[in-house]
This record gives sequence, C-alpha cells and structure tokens, in this order.
Amino acid sequence: MLRFFYRCTCLLFIISIIIGCNGSERTPEKKELKSNLLESYLDIVKDRKNSKEERRSNLEKAYTIYSTISDNIYKVEKNFELCREYYSLKEYEKYKDLSEKALKLSKILNDSLSIAKAYAYLGIYYRRSKLDNIAYKNFYEAEKIYSLWNYNPENVKYVANEHGKVLIDIARIRQRAKDYSESEAITIKAIEKFELAEDETYIPLCYTNLGILAKFLEEYDKSIEYHKKAIEYAKGTDDETSRTLASYNNIGTVYKSQKKYAEAKEYYVKALSYKEYLSKNKKIHSRLIDNLAYVNFLSNDLTEIPELYFKALKIRESIDDKYGITTNTLHLAEYYQSINEDSIAKMYAERSRDISLELNNNEELLKSYRVLSDIYEGNEGLRYANAYIRLNDSLVREERLYRDKFARIEFETDEIAEQNLQISRENEILIIAILGLTALFLLGYIIFRQQQSNKELLFAQTQQEANQEIYRLLLNQQIKLEEGRQMEQQRMSEELHDGVLGRLFGVRLSLDGINQRANDGFTEARNKYIDELKSIEKEIRLISHDLGTETLTADVAYIDAVESLISDLCAVNNITFEFNNDEDIDWEEIDDQKKINFFRILQESLQNIFKHANAKSIKINFDFTEDKINLTILDDGIGFKSNKVKRGIGLKNITSRVSQMSGVVQFLSNKDAGTKVSVSVPV
Amino acid sequence: MIDDHPMIIEGYKNTLLGENQKEYQIKIDIASNCDDAYDKILKSSQSTPYDMLFVDIKLPPSSDGTITSGEDLAKHAKELLPKSKVIILTMHREDHRIHNILKNINPAGFLIKSDLTSSELLLAFNNIVKGKAYYSATVNDHFRKMMTNKFSLDEKNLKILYHLSRGVKTKNLPNYVSLSLSAIEKRKNQIKEMFSISKADDQKLLEEARKRGFI
Repeated sequence: MLRFFYRCTCLLFIISIIIGCNGSERTPEKKELKSNLLESYLDIVKDRKNSKEERRSNLEKAYTIYSTISDNIYKVEKNFELCREYYSLKEYEKYKDLSEKALKLSKILNDSLSIAKAYAYLGIYYRRSKLDNIAYKNFYEAEKIYSLWNYNPENVKYVANEHGKVLIDIARIRQRAKDYSESEAITIKAIEKFELAEDETYIPLCYTNLGILAKFLEEYDKSIEYHKKAIEYAKGTDDETSRTLASYNNIGTVYKSQKKYAEAKEYYVKALSYKEYLSKNKKIHSRLIDNLAYVNFLSNDLTEIPELYFKALKIRESIDDKYGITTNTLHLAEYYQSINEDSIAKMYAERSRDISLELNNNEELLKSYRVLSDIYEGNEGLRYANAYIRLNDSLVREERLYRDKFARIEFETDEIAEQNLQISRENEILIIAILGLTALFLLGYIIFRQQQSNKELLFAQTQQEANQEIYRLLLNQQIKLEEGRQMEQQRMSEELHDGVLGRLFGVRLSLDGINQRANDGFTEARNKYIDELKSIEKEIRLISHDLGTETLTADVAYIDAVESLISDLCAVNNITFEFNNDEDIDWEEIDDQKKINFFRILQESLQNIFKHANAKSIKINFDFTEDKINLTILDDGIGFKSNKVKRGIGLKNITSRVSQMSGVVQFLSNKDAGTKVSVSVPV
Repeated sequence: MIDDHPMIIEGYKNTLLGENQKEYQIKIDIASNCDDAYDKILKSSQSTPYDMLFVDIKLPPSSDGTITSGEDLAKHAKELLPKSKVIILTMHREDHRIHNILKNINPAGFLIKSDLTSSELLLAFNNIVKGKAYYSATVNDHFRKMMTNKFSLDEKNLKILYHLSRGVKTKNLPNYVSLSLSAIEKRKNQIKEMFSISKADDQKLLEEARKRGFI
C-alpha cells in the first residue's frame, strides 16, 4: 500500500515537475542558472582554505537557492552535499534537518540508495548526540537497504563503500555497548565491503576498532597487531597523521593494560613527537600528555608528575574537553592519594565525579567513586564504597541489557517494517478487493445496461415490425378494397349489361311492337321516346363497358389502358385527342397506387372537359423530367375563371390525389382560352 | 324463345304477335335457362320440331354444366333439330364473339340486341321464315371488315388482339387465351407478318389491327 502510495506520489511529482518546468521555472535557462549559482556557492564552501565565516555565509546562500529548486532528483543530490558542509561547519541541527529532508525526498522519489544514505547521515547525527539507540536504529535501517541491494557493475563500488561505512558505524556502536564479538564480526564484514569497493579510506578505522575490541577481549598481541595494521593502511591517506597518532595512543593503552609501561611510554612519546599536528589538535595532544603522565605514574616514574597532568588539564580546560577533564582529574586524585595528600585528592576526585555526573559518564563516575571510597574513611568512605558497588552492579546489569538492546532494536525495526508490510499487504488486498468489486459492479451494470438497451432495441424492432404489419394490413386492406370495388364494378357492369340493359331492351321492344299496332296519332311521339330509350340503352352499355374494363391490375399494360380510356371517352364525346407518352417513363417500376391515381386524375379531368368545357380537341402528355412525371391535360374549351370555380368535387379529388403522391397540381384557365391542368409527381 | 329475361321475351312476343298474327299462326314456347331449353328442344325433336329458335347467348348454365351458353345450346339444337332456323339475339357486339358465333353456329339470323328495333325484328323474322338469312347491321359490318381483308384471323388470334387492346400484357395472355406463351408469341408474329409490319411493336400491331377492324 505504502509503496503504491509512494508510486502514486512519485508519479504526481514527476508530473508536477514536468508541469513545474513549464510553470514555476519557466525556462530551462533559469533552471540552469540556479544550479550554476548553487554550484559556485558550494565550491566556495567546500574550499577549506576559506575562512569559516565565508564558508558559512556561502552555505546559507546555497541553502536558500537549494530551497527553491523543484527538481527533486537534483535536490536530493545537493542535499547530501549541503549536509556534509553543515557537519564540517559543526552546524549539527541544520545537518539533522537537511538529513531528514533528504530522507523524505528520497522516499518520495522511491530512491533506495538515497534513503539508506539519509538514514546513515541521521545515524551519524544521533551518534554524535550520544543517542546510541536512535543512531543504531538509523544505521540499521541503512544497513538493511544496502544488504538487500542487488549489486550491479555500475555502482557496486559506491554501494559497497557506503555499506562498509554503515557497517563500521554499527560495529563501533556495538563496541561501545561492549558487544565485542558481534562488533568484531561486523567490522570484518565492513572490511570486506571496503575491499570490494577498492577504497581504503575507512580500513584504518576498521582495524583500529578491531584493535580496541581485541584489547577488551584481552587479546593484547592481536590488538597491537591490528593497530599496527591500521597505521599501515593509513599511510599515504589524507588523515594519515591523525590515524597514526590515534593508533599510537591505542597501542600505548594496550601496553598499559599489559602493564608494559616502558613500551607504552615509548608509543606515547612517539606520538607526542608530532608537534606540529598536535599544536592544532589539542584534544589529542592533551590526551597523549595525560596518558603519558599516567603511565609514568603507574611505572613509578614521578619526575614530571604532576606537571604533565596539569599541562594536560590546562589544555583540556582551554578547549572545555569535559570527558578529558574527568579522566585528568581522576588521575590527579589518584596521584595525590598516592602521596597522601588526601584533601587535594578529594577535591580532584569530587570534581571528576561532578563532571561525570553532569556528562552521565558512568565509567569515569565509577572510577571516581572507587577513588573517593579509598580516600574517605569511616562512614563517608563506606557511602562511596556502596555507591561504587551500586553503580557497578547497575552498569553490569545495563551492559547485559545493552547487548540485548540491539537485538531488540533490530527486532522492533523489523517488526515495524513487517507490520507496515502486513498493513500494506492488507491494504493491497483491500484495494484489490474494492477494485474487483467495483469492476464486478461495473461489469454487472454494463451487462444490465446492455440487456436493457437490447430490450429497448428488441422493443423498437417489434414495434417497427408491428408498424410494418399494420401498414401491410392497411395495404392489403387497400388492395382488398380495390379488389372489392373492382368486383363490385364488374358485378354492376354485368348487372347493367345483362339485367338492366336486357330488361330495358325488352321494354323498348314491347313498346315498339305495340306502337306499330296502335293508331291513335301518337305513334310518332312514342317513337321519339322509344328512340330515347334506345339511346339510354347505349349509354348504359357504355357505362357498363367502362365499369367492366377498368381493371388496373398489375398485368394491364398501363399506357394502353390509359390510351383506351382516352380514346373511348373521346369517341363517345366526339372530341379529337392527341396523346403522348414519354418513353423514358418506366411504368412497370412505378407503384400501382400512383398509376391508379394518374388514371383517375385523367378520368376526372376528361369528365370535367366533357361536362363543362365544350372543347373540340384535347391534348394529353406524360413527360418525364428530373425524376418527375408531369401530366398535362390541355383543352380548347370555354375555360373558367380560375379563382371562381375553386373547389368543385372534381378539382378537389384531383388535388387530394396529387398531394397523396406528394406532387404539385396547377389549374390554369381563362375565359375562352381553354384549360390546362398540370400535375407533377416525383417518382 | 330462350332468354333469361321475361321482359325480353315479352318484347319479342309483343313484336311478333302484334303484326304477324294475321299472316302466321305462331306458337311460342319459352325457356329461361339452358336446362329448360335443352329439355324442350329434346322433347320437340321427338314430337313436333320447332321451326324457329330465338337463342340468347348469355344464359344461366345447365345444372350438369355441359351447356354454359346459348352458343352451346344452339350447337345441340342444330344436331337435334337440323331443320329449325336458329336466330341468335345477343347484347355482345365484340368482333371475336361475332366471329365465333358465325363460325360455330352459322345461324339463320344474328341480331344484336342494342341495334334491334321491333320493325327490324319483324323484318328479320319475315326474311328468315322465307328462308333468307338476316344479320344485324353490326354483324354485317363485321362481315364487311372480314371481307375487305385478304385474310381472316381465327378466333384465337382475334382474342389475342382483343386482350392486347385491353392492355393485357403478352406474358399474361395465357390466362385469357388457352395457349402457351410461346404459341402466343408465334401467333403475334404471324399477325404482324400478315399486317406486313413484321418488326413492329405491340403498339403498332394494335394500331394496325384497329385500322383493319380486327378490334
């Protein structure tokens, strides 16, 4: 989960950086300017030849610029450089702040190596503050990252070196906690790392640590050997002198522990010969003097005592080296006790005790209690002896606890990590579950929607089908209606022809027959009516014929039917006609409804002409232009005033039929100028 | 007299009986459908055959369906009563029907009802009684048309032309004329050749047929 979160934030950061590049730092030039400035300030700070004040002020300037940088990768890199400089200028709180910032940034960038480095830096801070527990925790975190790191050829040396540094730091903390064997193992591991890194800078430190450890384990020869090795390795390095002096001092101390005072003295004197160096490093100088004096005192060579002690003490007081002072005053107390100057001895012992209490330096405090219990007599002496025993017991207890402590710290750290991992795993499961559920829900929803829309589609489809069915039924109905009508017409035609006509004929014949015989002077008049009857018969036969032949089924050649209609009607009405059909019209493709409509329009128009127009000739045209069929019916009759005769049934029928076919109809007429009916219908 | 309309028979009677009663003794039997008519014809053939038969073309068919029109009836009558004179009286004036009737029956009289007046009916009657055939003006017209052509068209050809003129398409003609489509096509080409318009379309064919009076 955390990793996921980091990844997200990291991504966000990268995005914001990208945006930032276009936003806060508008141009790459500006960015470059910033880094250049920062580098130049840092160069000044790094140059140890410059005065501390100058370096400090430049460091502050560098820090100000650093704060405005938004490129995190670059920022982390510079962060460590700034840290180092703050440390070298002894601004430890700043160092800590920056280290913490580095840790945060590295975590955002998910940069493991930087995270480890930041932990190591923080470890250094806490170790300096004598907070070994916290320091150990930080070093342990760093060590964990390094030990899990998969070396690759590109940065194997760098990582090994960093790992070695962390290991030696851990080893030293463990050494201080008197966990000697563990410390020794870790130190050896550190040496291996440095060898892998092919960097000998820290190897002297390792051997020094091994030497110290060997001394505590009372393997004195081995210890001396290690210290000598440290000197060997320090040769040619930058801090050869300081390493060598430290080793001399250590060797002296080993010999002192072996009670080989002469050898010890030899090394201290050797160390003290580095006068130039020592004049600058007063702490070491004073320690060497004090140690030399103490060896002299132990070997009963009291020639320069207590002058040497005072010399050391004076230096230590001048640099306020409190740890040194406790040891120094204790040595003085021992000396004055040995020459039975109990009151002076008391004074020094008490001073040592007070400072030790102040520093919480239990080892020196224990020594001071021992000295004090020896100096004082009676109750006071007993009281110090008791204090000594109590402190000793508690120290032994503490030591035992101390050793376990690291295991506990490691365990706790691991446990927290484990817990974090557990939580993150749980969160991951939770997220996966939520995502899964969401996906499932979405899937369900989509399926549901799909089904819904399918249903809708199906519904629309059935509706459409239903509509089509209705339309088809309507059409069928129409056809049936038409069929029925035609059948009815046929029936009427036959009825007229065979029935009515027959009977009329019979009547006429009878009347005629009777009329032949009657002689009442009305024969002529009756004959006239008989003729009238004959003409009625003729008319009925024509009607019957019309009714019977008007069968516009698909198998009737349309234009023939039209022409026969026209010719028949014109023949009856004694009008000449001219009929033209455009060959381009494909009547077979035109739907029956339209054909029927045209037919009826024509019929209606002709009917009108015959009834009203008094025309002598008519002209009928079917034209085909631009996907439109144009029917023109022209007569030379008396015409009518277009606006006057508006809505006769005949015209109305024509208009409605044309609009049914979404066409246009026009009636053009003027008195004595004939009539023109134009119908235009799209195909 | 065979007609399904009593009114028509009444008309015939009125015409014939009014004037001719003086000259001829006219005894009239009437039948209004094919069954009746056939029975009576059959009966008379066994006893006293009819001298004259007035036959309408459109009649209710016989119950067994063998006799469907006056045309069929007339054929039977010719067999049964070979001496009797058949007069066809019909409303139909279409050329092909006239042609058909003339060809199948060759009646002594052929009268188109719509042309007919009582005096004409009397004239026809008198002519036929005297052994002279009498045809209505329309029928004579048909004869004339037939005669002016150097050839005549048979019934089937006339039917084809008639239906074509009504607007029936060639491919649907088999429904109207009992011939196969290919036979119809063949006949159409024959007609065109006769009209000497071999490569013409149907429109032309019909125009020509109309001109020559076949339609």
